[in-house]
Amino acid sequence: MAQPAIYSLFIINKSGGLIYYKDYGSAGRMDTNDSLRLASLWHSMHAISQQLSPIPGCTGIDLLQAHNFDLHCFQSLTGTKFFVICETGAQNMETLLKAIYELYTDFVLKNPFYEMEMPIRCELFDLNIAQVIQKDRLALLGR
Amino acid sequence: MIGVGKAKQYANVLDKPLSRGRQEVSLSAFAFLFSELVQYNQTQVDNIAELERRLEDAGYAVGARVLELLCHREKGNRRETRLLGILSFIHSTVWKVLFGKVADSLEKGTEHEDEYMISEKELLVNRFISVPKDMGAFNCGAFVAGIVKGVLDNAGFPAVVTAHFVPIEGQQRPRTTILIKFAEEVLHREARLG
Amino acid sequence: MAPLTAPKSGDALFASVDRVNAELFTLTYGAIVRQLLTDLEEVEEVNKQLDQMGYNIGTRLVDEFLAKSNVSRCVDFKETADVIAKLGFKMFLGVTATVTNWDAEGTSCSFVLEDNPLVDFVELPDTCQGLHYCNVLSGVIRGALEMVSMKTEVTWVRDMLRGDDTYEMRVKLIKQVPEEYPYKDDD
Repeated sequence: MAQPAIYSLFIINKSGGLIYYKDYGSAGRMDTNDSLRLASLWHSMHAISQQLSPIPGCTGIDLLQAHNFDLHCFQSLTGTKFFVICETGAQNMETLLKAIYELYTDFVLKNPFYEMEMPIRCELFDLNIAQVIQKDRLALLGR
Repeated sequence: MIGVGKAKQYANVLDKPLSRGRQEVSLSAFAFLFSELVQYNQTQVDNIAELERRLEDAGYAVGARVLELLCHREKGNRRETRLLGILSFIHSTVWKVLFGKVADSLEKGTEHEDEYMISEKELLVNRFISVPKDMGAFNCGAFVAGIVKGVLDNAGFPAVVTAHFVPIEGQQRPRTTILIKFAEEVLHREARLG
Repeated sequence: MAPLTAPKSGDALFASVDRVNAELFTLTYGAIVRQLLTDLEEVEEVNKQLDQMGYNIGTRLVDEFLAKSNVSRCVDFKETADVIAKLGFKMFLGVTATVTNWDAEGTSCSFVLEDNPLVDFVELPDTCQGLHYCNVLSGVIRGALEMVSMKTEVTWVRDMLRGDDTYEMRVKLIKQVPEEYPYKDDD
């Protein structure tokens, strides 16, 4: 069985609160407290990275590369951040994040029972996320 | 000069030619509006039964108008007077106009003579909606049940109409069944007409 | 991040999204207005509630617009207004709005609607003459813009249901909230 290309997925709201967390496979699994802490840390680091930019208009870190993982981050213009932690060199993560953003606009924001900025508990969102992640994994296995 | 557009002014809404029903808006526009309808009604109720009733009321208003509009536009000012006729009118004509497709199925209840069911694998209004576990069997399809009731009532077929999730074997998501239970008088009349 | 693909045209956008018969939308909106009139009784309260509902929709809908239109951050309010008129109205309602009547500072303008799917079948009865039937639309614009850091005031200046020759709403930029750096708030 191949190692999952994606270790975990996070969504954080514009104030840095973790509203969605999913892990895939045992590597990198963490408990609720750790995931919350990590989300808020990333939120701050992302903001600091904008300050580091010598040129105004920087929107923050898009990709963080370490020797044993990559972190791809997409921030919407409304301030919600979506990021995946994956194998080094995993491809098409921007496209995946964009697809997840679209699923969020469909199955979270159009759900009358979802309260804005709050943790996401939407069955249809889970189902659809699982599908795109699965598709992504299959594509990677076929490489 | 501004304000020169397609929209024309009519002194009276009745002078305006009736739309042919070809205009479209995005499904999203409808979905956001419907979501807001549900959210607003949640603020007006204390329990789920009440929420169902209010969504049904909103749907009823739509159904009553759809009947009038479609009888005029699609049926040359005639309407169905027989039970199977009106059911198939809802299942095909009404569904097609409102939801862009004929309903998946129309069946007669097996246990009760007065019950009919219109089922849809994925009801348009439920496309993006996940009902939280603590709301039990609540189904936003109550709005569509209201539409069906609005059509039936105003066509002279009083009925109790409700929406239910029905699990399908081998599928992750249940389908929605709109259950129609006709008033006794309707069945008597049908029997008389033979 | 640079957009992955170029922004689409309004027509291409509308063609690319799932669509429904406008009558379902129009009649559902009518049902909402009717509920509000019954619940709230006062026309002025209904206007407020419609605006609030629109605002709520706007705060949610803006993300879908950004996700599907591929527009990147607008340089100023003028560009934002153009994007809303040409792409926003088209993507959701299938109609185009015209941006006009800019003030000298470039902070307020009008959207003129050539076509308005909310109002088919509608005529205001004598008891509802003060009703801003389309208030949901102005609320949507206010809510959507607030999510991209623009505080606005949106008001109707012309309304065909009230006997005017077109639909015109006035959008006034109150302030542009600068980006916040949250780590500064931590201490």
